[in-house]
Amino acid sequence: MSVALTMAPGLGAAPVAPFLRFSTLWIQITGTWCNLECTHCINSSGPREPWLKPLRTELALSAIREAEELGVKEIYFTGGEPFLHGDILALLGAALEAAPTTVLTNGTCIDAIMADELAALFVSARYSLSIRVSLDDTDPVRNDRVRGEGAFAKAVEAIRLLHDRGLLPIVTATEITSAEHTDGRSTYERFRDFLLAQGIEKPRVKIMPVFALGRLARPDDPVLHEDDLVGFDRGTLQCAESRVVADGGVYACPILAGLPRARLSDGALEASFVGATLYHPSCVTCFQTGMTCTNS
Amino acid sequence: MRHVLPDGDDVHEQLAEYRRIAVFGGVYNNTLALHALLEDARRRDVEAVFCLGDMGGFGPHPDRVFPLLREGGILAIQGNYDASLAQGKTDCGCGYTDPRDNHFARISYEYTFAHTSREHKAWLGSLPGHRRVRLGPHRVLMCHGSPRVINEFLWESATPDGLLRRFLRDAAADVLLCTHTGIKWHRPLATGQHAVNVGVIGRPENDGSTNVWYTIATATPDVSVEFVPLHYDFETLARQMDQEGLPAEFSETVRTGWWTTCLENLPSRERSRGKF
Repeated sequence: MSVALTMAPGLGAAPVAPFLRFSTLWIQITGTWCNLECTHCINSSGPREPWLKPLRTELALSAIREAEELGVKEIYFTGGEPFLHGDILALLGAALEAAPTTVLTNGTCIDAIMADELAALFVSARYSLSIRVSLDDTDPVRNDRVRGEGAFAKAVEAIRLLHDRGLLPIVTATEITSAEHTDGRSTYERFRDFLLAQGIEKPRVKIMPVFALGRLARPDDPVLHEDDLVGFDRGTLQCAESRVVADGGVYACPILAGLPRARLSDGALEASFVGATLYHPSCVTCFQTGMTCTNS
Repeated sequence: MRHVLPDGDDVHEQLAEYRRIAVFGGVYNNTLALHALLEDARRRDVEAVFCLGDMGGFGPHPDRVFPLLREGGILAIQGNYDASLAQGKTDCGCGYTDPRDNHFARISYEYTFAHTSREHKAWLGSLPGHRRVRLGPHRVLMCHGSPRVINEFLWESATPDGLLRRFLRDAAADVLLCTHTGIKWHRPLATGQHAVNVGVIGRPENDGSTNVWYTIATATPDVSVEFVPLHYDFETLARQMDQEGLPAEFSETVRTGWWTTCLENLPSRERSRGKF
């Protein structure tokens, strides 16, 4: 798709995506608190004082209850690293009473005990539980260059622990190191083959684009202009049917959680059911790739 | 993605009333199963037979489906496959996002598109997006995917009660009948309402059995839902698929009852029950 992207961030009136329906609740449960510090992290998460604080447990529970009343279809937990949150299992239990639930994790906090707990939830819950484990390369050295030393081994171990307990983890990968591979396989194929070789009989792989924000933000990154969207169905953007609860309020999409211009409400979910301003360079990525942060 | 409003102008507002109906989805070119269904439903004293769409895809010889639908007096609505064929689209609009799923979906759609006559595509284009009927005192809304989106997947483990209540409230209905996923389920809600995914007759439902399923709903005077297994000559179907050059993965599913493709949209729970 060829797009003339000429406007600088913050100048002029940004286009707006309509709010069509409430399908997906994202809970930014640990804010930007993470035990890893990946080079491409979309919200610059890390182990130091987080710029976006973890969400209080009672606020997360309140959002789950309100979302259920509003007819939410699915719930996602993200961060930061959700498994650093002390109440994560109780929160997952509450979410699974309301809707199918997914956790996005780097996998490094999932040991055998946690895998057992998740397996118990998977079996007993009313709705489906999915765990998405992030990797960036099937090669440990390349992966750890992005995600930190030792991250690969721990994540692969988490995938194995979850698989052994029947949880069918989804591996989420970006294309950040794709150019370094010359074997002709796509990133999707490479991960699928890797998982099969690890004995994962039902390999599940989701490829995400790399976004121009967080640690990869540049001052001259382009933004969308009204003219770019002529003939484009804005209802296909994920902000047309998702909302994110994070510290400070409700935001348009999980990519932009915590950013003031993406904030649509100071607390109530329903109050955020208004059009979302496509003001950020990462909106260009959603527009160009048609991506969604959901599982499918 | 096509957005359809539950009270849109394609809803039949003159409500016919029935006591007992048969409902099925996803023919997927499986004329043999459709023939078996018509014979079976006739024996079960149903007053009408409804099809919730997706006549084509997956199987062989698409044009053989339409005479059976007409001769059987089947009341059909449009599925995403039907909409895409009627509109001449290059994609089935099934809603897959995984590269492997899309690879097989493309083969399936290109075959069906090339082998569906212009007349039949036009007929598919004439089908309504929803139907409303009464089942005794109960107001029934029929859709393909969901009441709001034609290709929305409503899986059993991934469709919350709260969402179903909202669908039924917005549509002013007591019973929701849908298909699209390929696996049947029935959920009576605490409100006394019902949601039913009627399953498909085009391919088995990923449980290692070769039969397919359709649904009979009866006003008793509450709503009674019965899932009926349909046995048909699956070996002949698989052989026809092979002869038509369709992927061996497709006929393997027909012969074994296990899905081999289009798996990535399955929620974790449904995926864990299958072989692949």
